[in-house]
Amino acid sequence: MIEVVDTVTLTLDGRQITVEKGKTVLQAALEHGVSLPYYCYHPGIGIDGSCRVCIVKIEKMPKLQTSCSTVCTDGMVVDTQSPDVHAARAGVFEFLLINHPLDCPVCDKGGECPLQDFSYTFGPDNSRMEFPRRVFDGEGVKADVDFGPTLMLNRNRCIMCTRCVRFMGLVDGDAQIGVINRGNGSEIGTFNDEGVHSLMSGNLVDVCPVGAITTRDYRFKSRPWDNPSVTDTICTQCSKGCNTTAWLKAKPEWAKGSSLIRFTPRFNADVNQYWMCDIGRFNYRWVEGDDRLRAPLVRDAQGTQQRASWADLMPKLRDRLAQAGQSSPDGVKFLVSAHASNEELFLFRRLTEELLGPSGPSTITVSWRVTPKQQPPRTTFKVPAVDAPNVNGARAFGLVTGAVGDPQGPSNVGALQAAVAAGSVTALFVFDPGPDGTLGDSQWLLDARAAGQLPLLIVQGVLMTSLAKAADFVLPGASFVEKDASYTNDQGWLQATSRALATPGDAREDWQILVDLASGLGVQLGYTSAATVRGDIAARMGGAVGLVGIEGLAFASTMSARTWLQASNPSERWKWDFMYQDLPPVKGAVEPSSLPPPPGLIPLKEVK
Amino acid sequence: MSFHPKMAYDATFHKSSRTLADPGPPFTFTPERRARLDEVLTRYPPDRKRSAVLPALYLAQQQHGYITGNAMRHIAEILEITPADVEDVVSYYTMFYTKPVGRFVLNVCRTLSCALNGAERVTEELCAKLHIKPGETDTSGTFTLVEVECLGACDRAPVVMVNDAWHECVSPESVGHMLDSLRTRGESALTGCHLAVEKR
Ligand code: SF4
Ligand code: SF4
Ligand code: FES
Ligand code: FES
Repeated sequence: MIEVVDTVTLTLDGRQITVEKGKTVLQAALEHGVSLPYYCYHPGIGIDGSCRVCIVKIEKMPKLQTSCSTVCTDGMVVDTQSPDVHAARAGVFEFLLINHPLDCPVCDKGGECPLQDFSYTFGPDNSRMEFPRRVFDGEGVKADVDFGPTLMLNRNRCIMCTRCVRFMGLVDGDAQIGVINRGNGSEIGTFNDEGVHSLMSGNLVDVCPVGAITTRDYRFKSRPWDNPSVTDTICTQCSKGCNTTAWLKAKPEWAKGSSLIRFTPRFNADVNQYWMCDIGRFNYRWVEGDDRLRAPLVRDAQGTQQRASWADLMPKLRDRLAQAGQSSPDGVKFLVSAHASNEELFLFRRLTEELLGPSGPSTITVSWRVTPKQQPPRTTFKVPAVDAPNVNGARAFGLVTGAVGDPQGPSNVGALQAAVAAGSVTALFVFDPGPDGTLGDSQWLLDARAAGQLPLLIVQGVLMTSLAKAADFVLPGASFVEKDASYTNDQGWLQATSRALATPGDAREDWQILVDLASGLGVQLGYTSAATVRGDIAARMGGAVGLVGIEGLAFASTMSARTWLQASNPSERWKWDFMYQDLPPVKGAVEPSSLPPPPGLIPLKEVK
Repeated sequence: MSFHPKMAYDATFHKSSRTLADPGPPFTFTPERRARLDEVLTRYPPDRKRSAVLPALYLAQQQHGYITGNAMRHIAEILEITPADVEDVVSYYTMFYTKPVGRFVLNVCRTLSCALNGAERVTEELCAKLHIKPGETDTSGTFTLVEVECLGACDRAPVVMVNDAWHECVSPESVGHMLDSLRTRGESALTGCHLAVEKR
């Protein structure tokens, strides 16, 4: 089908360009690689026309125009480089910096700040102001004040673009931020100084073009040039599957490697637009936390869990499982969290089929937690209640009733619960690769275990949960940032997480554990990588809704932050081109030349 | 208070030094004022109730003398907007007061024409006579001094607006007389708008 798109043709800096009708001059310029500064415009929250830095000269128009609010028309002649544009722009920057504290060295935004970047590029190189600056709460970081549970506010740095105000009104749906007072005394504030209480608060940091709004989580933790590499991935903490980027900070030289330092959202028009929620953004410390499982554990005769090697563990596990299976073939059950990726769900299905015949998959129960999120009714970004990414994947594999894309309710573990209560379960294999608690209620399992109704409990997962503490065998697996895996979100989109970190200690990727377990039990599944698993999924059920295209899924590789910043959404992109210019490489950083060339993975996205 | 499933909210960072709206006593519109507001609301589409924020604020100010935090909350509830939206408007306009004011509010224009014709000296004179600073109310509770932007009577600069009436061509020398006659004769002591006067 050929889509007929109305276009207009205009001249931009002497170049003929053709753009879709309705685009503004600013969008056209950014899409065609012309660097224009802008603050109040943001593709996700629209046009305001208040900051005036985007001014350009348009022939036949009496004054310089704000390009963000001027729609392209046929035959328009736009000049972004003429001397009067340069002079006027410099004038606007001089005004923006009248009261700006220029405390970049102590500002969390420093290094990735559009005000820095654009001022260097377009602004005057000194100020003619002799007056003292307007100061709200003292100089420097003394002006950082409480702005709700996740944020800090520094009103001295604010340039009054009102992006935050508009974000709260338009996207979050609860306009908690307002502009207090007027003119030179304007300040950003919340009613009664209550701060921002929203599940979307982290996005304010992304929209704020200066360091006025910063997160408590990232406060003084890192600098952009200390985060040398990034990996594009998705969030797996609920069924939405927001597209995100995992930022890695180089550890000190002696420690080697890198650690997870923050998540930021990545534009995806169909799933999450420009945003992500605070759960996905801030709940990541468990990945490298103290509770992380780093070595396999086996319960010894005295009843204490002992570290073991995989080589020691596997035969013991095989013997216990085989014994349980022989004594009562129906007694072996699997409880799988909906945090399991499509690959892992498929492997469970294959394993049970091979061991127990075609009815094998009926021994698998998929479980997840449901927590309704408090959000304003007018929000345009609904965070789903299901705290697991892959309920639809489980449906595609026939492990959960319902069709891919149906509304998702609570999980149904009733049958398993009854079987456990009846004492007919001789072995339970739990797979729980998500953060603690996302498996859903497990108290009934702990109770059954304490009451001796569960002779054999095996837990494969990532955290030392209370269930793992009660298990006979604990198999350390990989979290979502440590494996290339695919998930089917609540809309039915097949999306991929990418490996950003190595699994800690002896932990292994889950497909590998399952394939080894199968071969221990005498089933040769014959997979040599997660990609071969995906290939087999495609071969066996490639046409299934929610799994189409699984064999060809592209996984992002870790790339240098600079490459990422340049390749990402062009509307937020130009500011980055001035970063990292003359910086020496960070010690311990991934050497960019050792990385594969920036793949076509993140295509230049159209500015919406 | 924390809305957040994973982050405990202990306000370990200091609060800003911004002056917060005085919460005041619990506030609801009197039935007559509420009826008046409801009537105003019929002029706007039901999903644009926020358009009535200025009339609502005037009514609240009439009722309580100044606008309290509770009044802002009450108005926000009626108009289906947030208190922050209301405070945004209240703090923007000089004709809404967030503190009790005197019987006469002296709004001295300080914009260009008036400034060139000596508005600053008028303000100084008023300050000296009333022993207050701009934004304050004198001890007798009669006068409140406010500096405002252009009052739209630039050709008769400097202009002082007392409550809702103009007093034009004010000079520092005439300020004493103006205050005295205000005390004795109330608003009838003012010149009013020359256009209206000429028409009469
Ligand atoms: S706090 Fe940031 S986003 Fe909000 S108006 Fe100021 S500069 Fe803009
Ligand atoms: S909405 Fe869901 S997928 Fe998106 S960031 Fe939040 S938890 Fe993650
Ligand atoms: S005025 Fe165009 S981006 Fe602000
Ligand atoms: S400048 Fe004072 S009334 Fe216009």
